[in-house]
Amino acid sequence: MPYLKFNDAWLFMAMLISPFATAAPMGFSESFMVMGDFNNNWRELNMNYATTPRDAFGIGATYMRADDKSKSRTLEEFTYTRLIHRWNLPHAQANFWFQGGVGALQGENRRLGENDRFDKVMVTPGVQFDYETTRLYFQAAHRLYRASDINHDFTSVRAGFSFYETDYDKTQPWFILEARNMNGLSENVEVTPMLRLINKNYFVEAGVNNSREPRFNFMYIF
Amino acid sequence: MKKLVCVSLVSLSLFSQLALAATQTIQAKVNGMVCAFCAQGIEKKIRSLSQTKEVYVNLKQRIVAVELKEGQTLSENTVKDLIKDAGYDVTAIEVTDHPVAHIKAEIEAKQGAK
Repeated sequence: MPYLKFNDAWLFMAMLISPFATAAPMGFSESFMVMGDFNNNWRELNMNYATTPRDAFGIGATYMRADDKSKSRTLEEFTYTRLIHRWNLPHAQANFWFQGGVGALQGENRRLGENDRFDKVMVTPGVQFDYETTRLYFQAAHRLYRASDINHDFTSVRAGFSFYETDYDKTQPWFILEARNMNGLSENVEVTPMLRLINKNYFVEAGVNNSREPRFNFMYIF
Repeated sequence: MKKLVCVSLVSLSLFSQLALAATQTIQAKVNGMVCAFCAQGIEKKIRSLSQTKEVYVNLKQRIVAVELKEGQTLSENTVKDLIKDAGYDVTAIEVTDHPVAHIKAEIEAKQGAK
């Protein structure tokens, strides 16, 4: 199973680079954050509220589909995000996050002549590491998506650079390259080059993956 | 007439000195502030204070400057705590009588000179 080998390799890499982590999955204390990640086979929408500078509680909905469309999953979950550690350096920031959730999974496996539908409870614990300067960005994340007899663990690594530095109130363009894999749904590594625009009010990313499918992400804090 | 001009000049000078002295800006040096989207929490929290007249954030120089409204006071610790609450560390903090516009112009002149 090539995708299992891929997962193991990236998990090992993520462990190696764990002291350097960033890209906040939550806003500042007493703020709401809305995040979306959309392509053909993975669509995700989350919202959380930061009760402290380190803790956020939220809700999320995720739709996952196999490359060959033989499997589809819909997950609605309650989420918890914890900033386990932050390194505030003079010209950089690194973070180590816990992200997890528990929710209801509706699944469908299409086979010749029959469709197998099921409902299960899914748990989704995971960790994220990120490291960022005003010009460079790196992130590695691994999250389990588990239910009884279901394993759709998600692994991603992203790295990028900004084209130039900007003032605080100007929009800064970045180039980001992401590689990710969804266990049990795709045997391929999805590679997506993206253009990221960061402004103090919004964060958007758009690109086209190695299957020539569009991808769009956003974050908004209020 | 000469006397009148002299008195006017001295009065103007004293008045402008007083006006300058009335300006109070708390300037902090902050670690970890590398992304405008992530650092917006600092600006939002400080702007929500009734004492705040203007806020200036410079990621490259790691500076947050808070200009207070005339006659208002704010402790350095309050600014420190707000920045910490937003997720960052303050490494130095000082009070100056320069308005934010002056600090901004000075920093931009330095950056332009490089």
